[in-house]
Amino acid sequence: MLTFIARRFVVMLFTLFIIATATFFLLAATPGDALTSRVERLPDQVAERLYARYGLDRPVMERYVMTMKGLLKGDFGESIVFQGQTVQSIIAEKGPISARLGIQQMLLGVSLGLLLGILAAVKKGTIWDYMVVGLSILLISVPNLIFALALQQIFAGNLKLFPVIGWPTTNIWFGGWEYTVLPTLAGCFGYIASYARLLKASMLDVVNQDYVLTAESKGLSRGEVIRHHVLRNSFIPIVTNLPMSIAMCITGSFFIESVFSIPGLGLYYVNAVASQDVSIVMGETVILSAIYIVVVFITDILYTVVDPRIRIAGGKK
Amino acid sequence: MSEKLLEIKDLAVSYHGYAGEVQSVRRVSFDVEKGETVAIVGESGCGKSVTAKAIMRLIKTPPAEIKDGSRILFKGEDVLKFDDRRLREYRGGEVAIIFQDALAALNPTMTAGKQIAENILHHVKMTKKEAMAQAVELLRMVGIPQPEQRVKQYPHEFSGGMRQRVMIAIAFACNPQLLIADEPTTALDVTIQSQIIDLIKKLQQEKGTSVIMITHDLGVVANIAHRIVVMYSGKIVERGCSMDLFHHPKHPYTNALLEAVPRLDLNNKQVLASIEGTPPDLLNPPKGCPFSTRCRYCMEICCREQPPAVSFENNHEASCWLYFLKEAPADAPFVKEGRV
Repeated sequence: MLTFIARRFVVMLFTLFIIATATFFLLAATPGDALTSRVERLPDQVAERLYARYGLDRPVMERYVMTMKGLLKGDFGESIVFQGQTVQSIIAEKGPISARLGIQQMLLGVSLGLLLGILAAVKKGTIWDYMVVGLSILLISVPNLIFALALQQIFAGNLKLFPVIGWPTTNIWFGGWEYTVLPTLAGCFGYIASYARLLKASMLDVVNQDYVLTAESKGLSRGEVIRHHVLRNSFIPIVTNLPMSIAMCITGSFFIESVFSIPGLGLYYVNAVASQDVSIVMGETVILSAIYIVVVFITDILYTVVDPRIRIAGGKK
Repeated sequence: MSEKLLEIKDLAVSYHGYAGEVQSVRRVSFDVEKGETVAIVGESGCGKSVTAKAIMRLIKTPPAEIKDGSRILFKGEDVLKFDDRRLREYRGGEVAIIFQDALAALNPTMTAGKQIAENILHHVKMTKKEAMAQAVELLRMVGIPQPEQRVKQYPHEFSGGMRQRVMIAIAFACNPQLLIADEPTTALDVTIQSQIIDLIKKLQQEKGTSVIMITHDLGVVANIAHRIVVMYSGKIVERGCSMDLFHHPKHPYTNALLEAVPRLDLNNKQVLASIEGTPPDLLNPPKGCPFSTRCRYCMEICCREQPPAVSFENNHEASCWLYFLKEAPADAPFVKEGRV
């Protein structure tokens, strides 16, 4: 098990290195830079100084080495657009906003999705099943941007039940729930659709296993068979997907955040790319990728909790 | 004579698929007496497993259909007419089933003990602790060493033979009156096979359970079955007590099957006997005798009409037109004895 963790750790570092390198050269390859628009109106000497300050006057390879050295120390550099801000301070400020939205979306979406999945599997071939399948297809094929706008129009514009835009600024984890309702709804549809379909498929697979026949042959009722034998085994693919969804939570959603003017990470990240704020983009990419990779690793360990067969294989390693 | 525990009358099961109706079981009747072992023998797809599942009412309808007129009487009560509650008492409590592949038939995420206790708790009122204690006793009974530790283990931690023993422990948890063993030894190697068969035999004698043993291996049946039912493409072609069937087979199919059993007393130069061809397509079963296409002795009438059952002494029956000939063909010596 220890060698397994060590080996995975090395692979994780290597993955991060590739991500950082790719991000750096992609950014370097884009025409112009963060200062282009700013220096137009400045005298040449000032412009040169500005370029020197952020190291943008050096050749690409030299900047690459500098950036990588900084990454090793955890120093991503200063924001070029917002002076005095670093990646860490931006993530600390905007991360919780995106995280709250993401967590609310996920909790609502996953629980509704799982319930619908169970319903569709248990009532297979009935109107319920077709309704769930139809709903999932609708929810998965329409982009959440459309839902966001529609919800905004109906519930905020016409019915005036919730604020049109905005986000709680004080008590950011629990306050101002009325601002969060519409963004949460708009973002949870994707989860509903994918988890309903995933659980339904998984349950239908498990229902055809021999051990379900064994359970039935013991005289258990249909409900008992599903609760004790089908559900736990159907949750194995869910366990793979869930941590990915959790990791996605914190990265924020650009569309939802822009429609509802939420000052979250997703919106900021896309703006940083647009304004070529190199150090911020590099920093965010590396940190978010690192979180993602760690979550994938935790998933592998989580497997062993749900499925005892994997517990043994891991133990022997 | 002794009492009839299970009577199956005119059982017919069809599956409705894209290609049409597959007639898996076509009007099968037989019965099982108390304490008796009946073997159902036949090749893959002959309907023996479907028959077994039908007795437990484990056949999913749809896609399957149990045809009108089918009756499965358990102590005189029609199993097919049981309501939900009665069915749940019947399953596991009065009749238990063992499947072919014990690894697939055990829940991989539940300990062996829990899976046994579940059956007990469902039928007998007791606490979980008492049920677990009984699970330990059951594991001991089926010959699993260190049952106290083994109850807490998961199915993948058992070997193939041990898993089948766990299945037997589950099946015997509530002392059923009838045990259906659906190819219990097919997935096991030969030495383990005989251990499992001996275990079933021993438990059956101790508890007086009736057993329906389903297999395609005549060797497995030889030392356990009192009576044998031979099925072919959804029909019973021959039935009789084990001795009669082994020593005086009456149906060309049974005869060919017995010829195909490899024998130790022959040298290894001998070519193994086999039955040419494949069983008929049950989507479109032949009009006449189902075995006619592969039968060495096939006559014109065999392809046209289904042969009626011919009775011999000792409740031995076979369905074959050969017995209606004035003189049996010279190359079918088995037909000579006891013609109608």
